[in-house]
Amino acid sequence: MTNVPTHWYNIAVDLPKPLPPPMDPYEGESRITLLNRIMPSELLHQEFTALQYVPIPEEVRDIYARLGRPTPLRRARGLERLIGNGVKIYYKFEGALPGGSHKLNTAVPQVYYAFRDGAKEVATETGAGQWGLAVSIAAALIGVKATVFMTKSSFMSKRQRVLFMRTYGATVYPSPSEVTKYGIEALKANPNHPGSLGLAISEAIDYTLQGEGRRYIPGSVLEFVLMHQTVIGQEAIEQIPEEPDLVVGCVGGGSNFAGLTYPFIGAKLRGEGFEGTRFLAVESKAAPKLTQGRYEYDFPDSGGLLPMIRMLTLGHNYVPPPSHAAGLRYHGAAPSLSLLVREGIVEARAYTQEEALEAGVMFARSEGIVPAPESSHAIRAVIDEARRMPKGSVILFNLSGHGLLDPDAYERVS
Amino acid sequence: MGISRPSLGLYLTATYPSIRHFIEVLNGVRGLVDFLEIGIPTGNPKYDGPVIRVTHHGAELKGLEAVKVVDDYGRYSRVPVLMGYVADYVDSLNETASVARSVNAVSILFPDLIFDYPELIDRYVEVMVSNGLRPSFFISSKTPYKLVKRLSEYNPLFIYLGLYAATGIKLPIYVEQNVTTIRGIIGDTFLVVGFAVNNPDMVKSLIKAGADGVVVGTAFIQRMSNLESALSLLKWLRGGLP
Ligand SMILES: Cc1ncc(COP(=O)(O)O)c(C=O)c1O
Repeated sequence: MTNVPTHWYNIAVDLPKPLPPPMDPYEGESRITLLNRIMPSELLHQEFTALQYVPIPEEVRDIYARLGRPTPLRRARGLERLIGNGVKIYYKFEGALPGGSHKLNTAVPQVYYAFRDGAKEVATETGAGQWGLAVSIAAALIGVKATVFMTKSSFMSKRQRVLFMRTYGATVYPSPSEVTKYGIEALKANPNHPGSLGLAISEAIDYTLQGEGRRYIPGSVLEFVLMHQTVIGQEAIEQIPEEPDLVVGCVGGGSNFAGLTYPFIGAKLRGEGFEGTRFLAVESKAAPKLTQGRYEYDFPDSGGLLPMIRMLTLGHNYVPPPSHAAGLRYHGAAPSLSLLVREGIVEARAYTQEEALEAGVMFARSEGIVPAPESSHAIRAVIDEARRMPKGSVILFNLSGHGLLDPDAYERVS
Repeated sequence: MGISRPSLGLYLTATYPSIRHFIEVLNGVRGLVDFLEIGIPTGNPKYDGPVIRVTHHGAELKGLEAVKVVDDYGRYSRVPVLMGYVADYVDSLNETASVARSVNAVSILFPDLIFDYPELIDRYVEVMVSNGLRPSFFISSKTPYKLVKRLSEYNPLFIYLGLYAATGIKLPIYVEQNVTTIRGIIGDTFLVVGFAVNNPDMVKSLIKAGADGVVVGTAFIQRMSNLESALSLLKWLRGGLP
């Protein structure tokens, strides 16, 4: 039987090139200094750790286990039959966690470390609500308050997730809100402002700075977030009965992709297996940073409150066209993933929303699980690749979430 | 020739805040530090924190001209090292090395080398050696183990581990754990650590964790307008050396 991993894996120390350090812009106050005031201290240590394997606190492992880790690794026999050429397909089902996505893997340790710092409350942003929901669950279990700034357009259209978060006791504000100066300014400029993830981040940080005992926690892109997600891949290595020829995941900021693939890629980089395995990162054509972005220092948030990091980016002011896969509408990719794509170790591909959702429907009808629209992007790539691969080939992909709260996304393609 | 163990080093930006003041400081620190890092003023000190950035922008002279105001740094310290951003010297590595040699520096440390120009590492080593200098390398705590090991095999004067994300900004990082981890990879290569060092307890625990030398920069520069107070900081920090 597979156990809950005891450590998180830090790929930085196995990369072919060093990760460039974060950097302050030349204008304004030091963003690096600001991190100290807003983030749980242990997370900053983890962002800069030299350890290859970082121990997972027992309390966190315990919650992982109670929430359903290890998550199932399943064979997609229905989808295999549909494709019909003898290619074998496995998937890791992160949607089996109570929040319905992989986001809990990092929400739990982040809230835990905030609590250990003496915080009474955590603040964060959310788009479609997957991250906000995970934080709400983790906060309820650990006993701190959660305050979530949710982009207003999603706040209106994803009512179920708002109610879900409130069920766990979270306070959810539509962003722009009346509770921070960034929100008030945005509303003054445009009373019908639909909100953006960047603005919601600025609001969450400002809110954190306003009160005692608050910590800000981020949902993707930072290296410690990716590291927390590596429980997925470590479990998968133990669970999968044969070596995959191809491992696939979707990319918003890179956390679920990294979570599944990094333990495999690390072994490959160290010469300890998976020599022949390919890795494919799938993004949305609405935010194609991996296939069309520039590799440069940029802000992770559109407000420019956080330190700049070197990554593949479309620019922090890039406004993606609307997409049902809100979790993929992000302008940049985590520094380590950007580096791996540039080095040719990870391949990248972009799909349109329609291409992805069509694949999501195929999966739902052949496997019985409605995938999150984000995960459907990975499924599209799996189907396209499988059709080209010889009989007996093995594919593994990350089903990063279920789509039980996103049936509206599938309305037009079903 | 190497640096004594354990030791205290000082970082200064050449000709900040003025040529006169810079030289006055050099005279003052003689005997108080075991090695010196002399920053070559640049327009783009990207990996530096706010205090050291100000020194780059406020230096009286820019680039190598600033370094040349002293003809022999050996007068002030047994082990003077220049520090610059290789981005400024990619096309003139040799000339830069010969300037270093002419002012009696023993190495040039480029903090951006392994991050922004990893393909230049071998050439850098060649240029150092052919100019009678030793290579030295800057790394971060997350530098790949294989690369750290490779750097230690170039017989460098030292490997410099930046303890924090940027100079002068302390973060809650287990710096001792990182020092010990890097020490475990580099054998007996001289390990210098720095960034935001500002008290003798820190010096002591870093040495105990496996560092050979500790550098102070920001904390000294912040006191530089009062030379006496800056020098007493160095004496106080020396108290942390075993
Ligand atoms: C189900 C699901 N998959 C994928 C993503 C993309 O984010 P990341 O690239 O960090 O995994 C999200 C983000 O919200 C998500 O909710």
